Amino acid sequence: MASSHAEYVKIVEEMFERKKEFRLIGQYVQRWDALDKILGRARFTADHAYFFKNLVYVHAVRAKYAHAKINKVDVSEAEKVPGVLKVITHKDIPGVNDVGYVLPDQPLLAYGKVRYIGDTVALVVAEDPYIAEEAAEKVYVDYEPLPVITNPLDIVSFGGLKEKEHTLIHDERGSDVIARFRILKGDVRKGFKEADVVVEGEYRTQFQEHAYLEPEAALAIPEHDGGVTIIASTQCPHEARRAISRVLGLPFAKVRIVVPPVGGGFGGKEDVANEIGAKAALAALLTGRPALVMHKREESIIGHSKRHPMIARYRHGAKRNGTLTAVEAEIILDTGAYASLGPFVLWRAIVHSTGPYKIPHVHTEGVAVYTNNVYAGAFRGFGNPQITFAVEQQMDKLAEELGMDPVELRLKNILRNGDRTVHGQLLDHGVGLEETIKKAVEATDWYRKRAEYAKQTGTIRKGIGLALLWHGNSIGAEGADYSSVTLIINRDGSITFRTGLTDFGQGSTQGLIMIAAEILGVPPDYFRVDQPDTSATPDAGPTVASRATAMGGNATLVAAYKLRQRLNQVAADILKCSPEDVEIHAPDVYCKSDPSRKIRWVDLIEECFWRGVPLQEFGYYRAPKAVWEDETGQGEPYFTYTFGTIVAEVAVDMETGKVTVDRVTTVYDIGKVINRVGAELHAEGGAIQGMGYALMEELVHDENGRVLNPNLYAYYIPTIMDAPKEIVALWVEAGYRRGPFGAKGLGEPSINGIAPAIANAIAHAIGARITSLPITPEKVYLTLKKLGKIKL
Amino acid sequence: MYIPKDLDDALEYLDKNAPDAIPIAGGTDVLIQIREGKLKPKVLVDLSGLKSQLSYVKRVNGKIAIGALTSVAELDESFLVKDKRYLGFADVSAKFASPILKPLATIGGNIGVAVSASDYVTLLHVLNVQVKLVSVKGERVVPLEKLVVEKRTLAKEPNEIIYEVLFDELLENSSTAFMKFDRREMIITGYVTCATYLQLKNNVIEDVRIAFDRVTRRIPGRAKKTEDFLKGKEFSLDVIRQAYNEVLPTEMKRKSDFRASAEYRLDMSKVMMKRALLKAKSRIEGGV
Amino acid sequence: MTQTQVQEYPEITITLNVNGKDFTVNVKPYERLIDVLRYKLGFLSVKEGCGRGECGTCTVIMDGKLVPSCLVLAVQARGKKIITLEGIAPQGKLHAIQKALLDTYAMQCGFCFPGVIMAAYHLLSKNQNPSEDEIKYALSGNLCRCGSYLRFVKAVKLAAEYIRKGQVYFDLKKVPP
Repeated sequence: MASSHAEYVKIVEEMFERKKEFRLIGQYVQRWDALDKILGRARFTADHAYFFKNLVYVHAVRAKYAHAKINKVDVSEAEKVPGVLKVITHKDIPGVNDVGYVLPDQPLLAYGKVRYIGDTVALVVAEDPYIAEEAAEKVYVDYEPLPVITNPLDIVSFGGLKEKEHTLIHDERGSDVIARFRILKGDVRKGFKEADVVVEGEYRTQFQEHAYLEPEAALAIPEHDGGVTIIASTQCPHEARRAISRVLGLPFAKVRIVVPPVGGGFGGKEDVANEIGAKAALAALLTGRPALVMHKREESIIGHSKRHPMIARYRHGAKRNGTLTAVEAEIILDTGAYASLGPFVLWRAIVHSTGPYKIPHVHTEGVAVYTNNVYAGAFRGFGNPQITFAVEQQMDKLAEELGMDPVELRLKNILRNGDRTVHGQLLDHGVGLEETIKKAVEATDWYRKRAEYAKQTGTIRKGIGLALLWHGNSIGAEGADYSSVTLIINRDGSITFRTGLTDFGQGSTQGLIMIAAEILGVPPDYFRVDQPDTSATPDAGPTVASRATAMGGNATLVAAYKLRQRLNQVAADILKCSPEDVEIHAPDVYCKSDPSRKIRWVDLIEECFWRGVPLQEFGYYRAPKAVWEDETGQGEPYFTYTFGTIVAEVAVDMETGKVTVDRVTTVYDIGKVINRVGAELHAEGGAIQGMGYALMEELVHDENGRVLNPNLYAYYIPTIMDAPKEIVALWVEAGYRRGPFGAKGLGEPSINGIAPAIANAIAHAIGARITSLPITPEKVYLTLKKLGKIKL
Repeated sequence: MYIPKDLDDALEYLDKNAPDAIPIAGGTDVLIQIREGKLKPKVLVDLSGLKSQLSYVKRVNGKIAIGALTSVAELDESFLVKDKRYLGFADVSAKFASPILKPLATIGGNIGVAVSASDYVTLLHVLNVQVKLVSVKGERVVPLEKLVVEKRTLAKEPNEIIYEVLFDELLENSSTAFMKFDRREMIITGYVTCATYLQLKNNVIEDVRIAFDRVTRRIPGRAKKTEDFLKGKEFSLDVIRQAYNEVLPTEMKRKSDFRASAEYRLDMSKVMMKRALLKAKSRIEGGV
Repeated sequence: MTQTQVQEYPEITITLNVNGKDFTVNVKPYERLIDVLRYKLGFLSVKEGCGRGECGTCTVIMDGKLVPSCLVLAVQARGKKIITLEGIAPQGKLHAIQKALLDTYAMQCGFCFPGVIMAAYHLLSKNQNPSEDEIKYALSGNLCRCGSYLRFVKAVKLAAEYIRKGQVYFDLKKVPP
């Protein structure tokens, strides 16, 4: 492959081989923006509204039905309301009326029909948000209701996943199945014949809401040249630019997206900015005034993507000694009214659908289908949390059948260096999975507790359970995988760091700064991070898929490396030593062999300026092309995988079914810990968000497609009083040679294994298994009651 | 917005303008109802300035009187939460919404909202509370049970406001307790709630009152048959078990919704009743 | 379909004290304290996460009490003393709780921080040695989706320690980045 010979790949590999001692990498370093945020000075999107005069407010008129034809939309009355400047409908869209991220299936403004209750039928633009909301009631729409489908099993059925007869939701596409992927390896019939035990199960997971504390917002400013600048709460400015340009019919150069600090993303702000940015831009361009779209919480919940619910049926076969012989599965994902990132979510789910194990015979098949529920898209984990919930419970079930300890069963089947995945991909290095298991077992006193808790009586029963995970880094076969940064050393010695990668709390930019700082030999506070801006910061690809450190890190590494080479040359000339002998430990620069020969960093920079040595560098990295054969799922879907073991310790109240999580121990193999603060916060935050997914979160629709709990009072995310008492984060560093210093991603892996570990721990505590999420107290209680274990 | 100078002024204004004008105290429910489009008042009468007159917790002639504008935070600072007989108030407060809402939410407001999650109503039911209402026409006192008649429905005129709640001081050998239980610890509606009043003498249940978030109607209510069964009996787990297994289901009709099923709610009503009674008992005996 | 009239509501003039300074503003009767603080007076640290008092991001201190500014009508805040994050420490200084949150590396997206800091500040002003349970209860109205909860507990304990030692404020210039 051409890319493996590319210069940038060689640089990354060289740094992985050569650099063994680190000053900054792996240390605890404060975030570049911590002070600003702690003082309350950081400006999030909505805060910018304070600085604008003549703002107009945009209010979306949403659908009255979850599925209906639109015969007529009459905005004339609404436009007459004093204070209303314009009411926008699809007729006013200059470009293409579509904001779909993967498939062109998502109109910005409803045209012909509505497919879920969040569809926008019209936009009221007014002087005052209250007027906009009042006027919205005067937009009259003539609807013709259609049958509402909220159950994906009304679209496809198990036993082949074929599409059933029904009133099409996306009649323009001719089918409501958006994607189908599979892994087909060996012969599962043969595999099951060879098995001594077979376990089956049906697993269901729910709609999860991101519930980031900052609701979506976009502020559009019409520019002098007919273009528009949009300040938006988004994870992907360049993707948003592409989508919004298309809607407005403007070239990229006339659409500028600027990203201030974002208050949480988790995947939920991956594509919603396409929509709200376009809405704000339309209003701004049509009125000639800055326009604000600000979602209220209820609107946010129905107005952006959710996590795909899953229904999956699994069959696992194994020999008496625990070796897996076959895995078969049918997986259905409900993508709601629009595809969003659905096809990619399904793909990732299928790629990971067997767990990190060696299996000779595999047939897993999955589809993603439309329904009239709120649409589903990207959410941390991206199909993997759902799959892992099923797979890791299947493994524990097998262990029960075989009378084996769950750890022993895992050790019998896990991938190790030199093994091939179920896709046939050879993992010749960087598989730290076994070490994560060993560390987790040791840290939690696993074997003793497994034995001890089995003998409990009493109202509160403890349980300990584990789950393994793997997570392919970056976007795999979803598209062209590249990233870029710009490093500019300024004449005063400070360094400007620019990238299109965004921060929404995960702090990956801090890791990038640390990589650059390590290579250049300067402290991290020399850096100033410019906010992502499509007019100024390079397209780094979307900030998704746990790729910021892996991909952005490489781009940063390459840029810093090249700058360092040039600095070494100049310093060597000044100090009269060889370039390899130059040590930079800003503010000093000296010769390793003779530290008395030194100059200051600022003087070195000044010298470069006078000598005409360029001190800006554009760093680019392109990942090796993924290989994927649609018919069989064979190839190399991801260039590397993050591995992990999670152990959850719970206590179950046998009278009420309420589960408390006492401790979560996470051991992730992330190749190399770059930003230790960020890594720990991911382990902790992921454990809490995963716990919410496991025990209490659930977005509920009624049979008419209406969301019953669109607010934070009825949609339960963990409060501080629910958080596990203890979260222990441990690390394994089985470096991947083409990651920055060997590093792999953690953004999503940090949630994948939490729910199954908790589910397995509950099963251990109560002696029965619950196979649907969330595992509410009621589910635990009624399970116990059915088994006769309740004595009221 | 109408800002009354004093209570009489507020009552005058309400008399002339209700139901277009509605009173607002802490606003923790009214503002959300307006946000959801369920309430569209033309004028809000701001009672928050009347706090000096309507916010108090005091003993008056063997009764305890709590002013309607007493906030939950103020209840936390009153003598009620230090007296083992009235620790039910501390229980309600501990699970009430979140700490941030407590200075705004008022006990009068909780009654005025009148939903099954109005925890003070549940607690006040076991205290046999009387509610004093005032209007331009004067005042009247009505038992809480007669005032809160259905979900968000009070038997009062739009020009009346809740002035105070009154209940007899409890006997020394009695106590109260309140339990609220849900999937998470705070900011919860509660799958079920249960308030109890227990009076013991030599381990015999002299008197007992038990209220739940719902018994039959969609508002808090008393389980009187269960109470009658328990009265006079020796306090034991077996007796409580008999009460909730044999009697409670005859007078309680639970409904299923997206949060929980009727079966689970009925079973949890039993568990919470037991726990509340045990808690009240331990308070009578040990004062905790 | 409901018919509503967009009505003209006359503005009311109120005075309130924010972070030690008096402000006189004209407000609509339906305007909330959060709207006044953010969009009229520029105290942007006060955030709106839900508008219903369920998330804690709009928390401010009003007459010594912790309240959700999204559920207080501006008119109801007349004559009251409000403290926001901008006012918990003098210019150029950090309050102990801010320093402690930096020291425990609790920062992620930062959106919940102003509300959390106000709740912690309020607790510490009344209790300089809070237990873990007291800390958790005091912060139970502040949601944090990034999951810094356990660090909040550590930070409040650390801040309490600083305060007990007499270190209530820290010089910004001396705080490492």
